[in-house]
Amino acid sequence: MGAEEKDLRDFKLQPMKCELNFLSKSDGSAILSQGDTVALVSVNGPLDIKSTSQSIEKSTLEILFCSKGGKPSVADRYKENVIRQTCEKAVLGCLYPRTGITITIQELEDFGGFLSCALNCACLALLNSGVSLRHVFACVTCGVDEKGEVVLGGRGCDTQISCVFDSIDKTLITCFSEGTYSEGTYLEAVARCRAASELVFAFYRDVVSKYSNAI
Amino acid sequence: MAEIYKLIHPVKYFNDYISRDIRPDGRKFHEQRNIKVNVNSLKTAEASAVVKCGNTTVVCGVQLELATPKAEEPELGFLVTNVELTPLCSSKYRPGPPSDNAQVQSYMLSDIFSNSKCIDLKDLCIVPDKLAWVVYCDIVCLDNDGSLVDACIIALMASLKTLSLPTVTYDPETEEIKVDPDVRTPLKVDGCPVATSFAVYKLTERNILLTDPSAYEEEMCGGLGAHFTVCLNKGLICGNHKFGGSHLLMENQEEVLKIAKERANLVVKVIDSCIKNEKSIDK
Amino acid sequence: MPLDYRRFNGPEDSVSYKRFTKDYLKSYSELYNNLIDEKGRRKDGRALEEARSMCMFFARTDMVSQAKGSAYIELKKTKAVCSVFDPREIPHQNEFSQLGQLFCEVKFAPFSCPNQRRTHAPDADEKALSVALRQALEPTVCRHLFPNYQIDVFVYILENDGSCLAAAINAAGLALANAAVPMYDIITACSVAVIGEKMFVDPTEAEEHLAMMTPEKEGTNHGIITMSMLSELKQVSDFTQIGSMDTDCVTKAIEILEKECENIVPNIQKVLVLNVVQCIEQRKQLEEEAKEREQALNAKMEEWKQLLNSG
Repeated sequence: MGAEEKDLRDFKLQPMKCELNFLSKSDGSAILSQGDTVALVSVNGPLDIKSTSQSIEKSTLEILFCSKGGKPSVADRYKENVIRQTCEKAVLGCLYPRTGITITIQELEDFGGFLSCALNCACLALLNSGVSLRHVFACVTCGVDEKGEVVLGGRGCDTQISCVFDSIDKTLITCFSEGTYSEGTYLEAVARCRAASELVFAFYRDVVSKYSNAI
Repeated sequence: MAEIYKLIHPVKYFNDYISRDIRPDGRKFHEQRNIKVNVNSLKTAEASAVVKCGNTTVVCGVQLELATPKAEEPELGFLVTNVELTPLCSSKYRPGPPSDNAQVQSYMLSDIFSNSKCIDLKDLCIVPDKLAWVVYCDIVCLDNDGSLVDACIIALMASLKTLSLPTVTYDPETEEIKVDPDVRTPLKVDGCPVATSFAVYKLTERNILLTDPSAYEEEMCGGLGAHFTVCLNKGLICGNHKFGGSHLLMENQEEVLKIAKERANLVVKVIDSCIKNEKSIDK
Repeated sequence: MPLDYRRFNGPEDSVSYKRFTKDYLKSYSELYNNLIDEKGRRKDGRALEEARSMCMFFARTDMVSQAKGSAYIELKKTKAVCSVFDPREIPHQNEFSQLGQLFCEVKFAPFSCPNQRRTHAPDADEKALSVALRQALEPTVCRHLFPNYQIDVFVYILENDGSCLAAAINAAGLALANAAVPMYDIITACSVAVIGEKMFVDPTEAEEHLAMMTPEKEGTNHGIITMSMLSELKQVSDFTQIGSMDTDCVTKAIEILEKECENIVPNIQKVLVLNVVQCIEQRKQLEEEAKEREQALNAKMEEWKQLLNSG
């Protein structure tokens, strides 16, 4: 345990700032900045959707990703898919059959690590919207520097590994990476991210408790 | 009888197999399907490969074009990869522009490929700032029975390894371009990324990894496409995509890396022996 | 053209390198002379009236595991894959349609054509081929058996070396039969390219290209005719002609095509019969295995019974 505690103290994530209920019209929204990267997410639902996309077993998640320039691209679809699959694991969809939940993500500033910021922001917006969740999730990014050492945050590194963990068992839900790295680096990065996810969860708790005190 | 059971109780049917440590198609959990590779079967493309992994069939065709390089990167050529999920490969796809799933597959492929750095785009430049090759790699799926990215990467690498570029002479004064298609230099390919897909199935408290899942298995494990794809190039990981499916534990990951390594060696051997065979036939 | 944001795009101004090779610009007569050698044979060694149906024809079914029925056809270099799916309700339709409908789509692979890259968006060529394919197939399928439903027929051309429509129709007919869609007859198709006095049966891409070009001398016959036939019923289900030619020429072409269409029938029949034989064998094997398993189970049952009775 001692080693882990020491690790935790050494960890420095990008400074995070968040405001819940940033948008007045949506059911839930959050704006999150991790360092210079800023994402805005709104959640609407459960709502009625057209019958072709309804599912009798669970609610359908619709993810809309708007990049800063506004032009859609293939990379955006990939990001949407990552966010959809991650949220689908977290949302208790079976409580809302035949409905749709729409999650809209707007990219405001991207100075690296946008996808991990968007995932964390989506989680906060889901919390804010009051949709039932199985667990919350946290995304942490690790970089690998020139010497092959794993650095948390790791902005500007060519190689980046991002992992999403759930809050209950700390198991890996989603993982995506950039660049090449060795096997050992990978396992180390996952372990580091897992430990650091604790910080993100603490941040969530902090944000939500402050928000609920305010209301 | 089994067919009816499968229709009425799809989950139970699948569970019954998995709890007996076997998959519905008779494979063990970590058994892969047979891989068949055939290169240069299409004569209209500069280089081509047909790959079959079990039932999954993909065809890759490479075409060459010339263009001026981008102003911001005057020394780089272009390599464009696209995955086409034709409506004929599965009843899930409709004709029209690529679906979201097709775009995700396309992105994963090009991401893995660019991360592996197996082709130096500088090799594709002929005259900096004036002329460069554009290599269009179109990968068409004829039959989608799961683990699509694995098959696509094999097809792409097999065709790029057989690709050779015609000689081009460029006159800087008149800007005249002459191409001699008879004198060709092969393209330098450094390494060979190999992807291995897994589906993660949760059976009560056990996490089960299915190597090289079929379309049916992918569906049963929830969601579209394989859940976990690891890509190795020369022993280094150059792509790691995991989304959907069940959660992964730490020991699962070590297992995955071991299997992926074995498979990478096997696939590289298959591709090389296939190209060698083809060459010996040509002679 | 608007940028396709659903795909990765190359630079806009890229051109095929073949435009800069020596062979790119050739006059009409040069091209014409290239088609036939001194002995009056075509480039691939065929005589003028010889189709690829006899020796260079390859067909098989069950190509695509996910489809209900599928077929693959190879005419030397021309390669086409076709798959047919289960009938489904016609989407976005208000009226009840008495007859079932066929939805056909012919698509070329981006790398299928020798000279330039095909765009991903469906072009006029593909649309025309799709319509022609639907018209050819409609009379063969018993459409009254599935009212208000549609059957999807998708054809993908991997390599184009002429006679695409004929290959598509042959493949689609075979795939429909493989999918057990009720049909009146086996459908076969063939095409002919007319250049002046000469008729190229089952033309290659180069021959088709030349037939489509306007000849130097005005008034000469040129063009392509594709005809599909139901051979047993002696009916023509589709007749497509491009280019201009006089009536004598057309009637002569029809005669040739009729003969050729019938020549293909045995090939198709062979594939279908082989298919049925295989199916029966497979079923026999499955039945035997099931019997064995049942016997084993029964034996176990007896054992348990004895155990229970004795204990």
